[in-house]
Amino acid sequence: MTSHLTQLLNVPGASVEAADDFDAINELVRARGWGDGLPVLPPTAARVEEMLKYCDRPWDEPIALIAPRYGAATPLRLAANAVMAGCRPEYFPVLILAVEAICEEPFNCYGIQATTHQCAVLILVNGPVAKELDINSGHNAFGPGHQANATIGRALRFAQVNVGGAIPGLGDMSTFGSPAKYTYCAAENEAASPWEPLHVERGFPAEASTVTVFAAEAPHNINDHESLTAEGILKTVAGTVAITGANNIWFDGEILVIFGPEHAATVAKEGYSKKDVKQYIFEHARLPLSAFSRENLERRLRQWPVFEGKFAEAGLDARVPMAKHPEEVVIAVIGGSGKHSAFVPTFGASHAVTRALKLRDGQLARSVNDFRRR
Amino acid sequence: MAELRRRGLVTAVVCSGPFMKLGRTQAKVFGVPELPLLEIPHPLGGLKLDEVKGRADVALAQFLKLIKQHSK
Repeated sequence: MTSHLTQLLNVPGASVEAADDFDAINELVRARGWGDGLPVLPPTAARVEEMLKYCDRPWDEPIALIAPRYGAATPLRLAANAVMAGCRPEYFPVLILAVEAICEEPFNCYGIQATTHQCAVLILVNGPVAKELDINSGHNAFGPGHQANATIGRALRFAQVNVGGAIPGLGDMSTFGSPAKYTYCAAENEAASPWEPLHVERGFPAEASTVTVFAAEAPHNINDHESLTAEGILKTVAGTVAITGANNIWFDGEILVIFGPEHAATVAKEGYSKKDVKQYIFEHARLPLSAFSRENLERRLRQWPVFEGKFAEAGLDARVPMAKHPEEVVIAVIGGSGKHSAFVPTFGASHAVTRALKLRDGQLARSVNDFRRR
Repeated sequence: MAELRRRGLVTAVVCSGPFMKLGRTQAKVFGVPELPLLEIPHPLGGLKLDEVKGRADVALAQFLKLIKQHSK
């Protein structure tokens, strides 16, 4: 262990002494509420140091403050959480990037952490680093089977809890949470997409590696095995997106529509761009006022500022959009073979944030190895 | 709210029962651990107007007490 790390760990409260025993350390983690109920890898000084080898900034300098505790997210603390989650050291730059992204103002970290809504943080990775780290973008991308998907999302969740204080019933008031809170990380399947990747659409160069974070519900499947046309697929998609119980009705944050590659190909072969798809969903994913309860109609739809008075006097056939603007429909292509897509409702009072992987000097990182300390 | 409290104004936050712990924790986070919390019965959403007024009465009684204490 380097003398620098020894010095940092000797700061009161920076480390705890524990028996060198897997079970004993897991019992300690359970008792302190530091984990997620599954076994963790003991965050020994040696393992934390290996993680920190992929960090090009001071280990004790906060990169962000995570609400609601506004705990200081230092690389040292994040590294301990990444070890516990089972991350390989080379994943660490992506975790740091995700932490920075969730702490940006438009993401509303306090809101997404403390809300009674069930949102989890979805980390969507674009660019060459996704392939370098083998972040699954194909079959079962949101399911088990890939270490990067399983552990980067889990490490972020640990940071939200252990640094940010999102403790169930105390700083995380979610009525029932979500399986997506265990981990929620995937890459876009850029190779199978007929459209420009998400990060390029959002203004980053193709060679950049980015994370985009969403305060998201788990994906809801959209099955369409029969439609042969773009309009057919999009009609099914819009019909699935239009639901009365999603937060997206009430707020102006993005909705995320994930196209499976086969559905995307059917839509794109007729010349639909991403912009066209967004416009279609904006126009068609709507519900008539008659679909809502009387109380929701009177107390919200006729009054809330987000609706700009459009429904104050409107008849019951007036249609309420799920997205308040076409650009609030985010499109990504993920997954393997199959006639499926997915709708990901979001917290609504949160905006997706995309950040590029950069070195301290501001240069785009070409590889996670650019972060490796010599 | 924390800033108003620090300036010495009569300040309080209304919380329903299950959110009292969150409120106390946040008061500590923002450096005003003594920030009064006015507890009302949960829930606050999905209520009829007279029930909302009932919650307001519960909070108001606590708030008036707070003002009296402040002016002593």
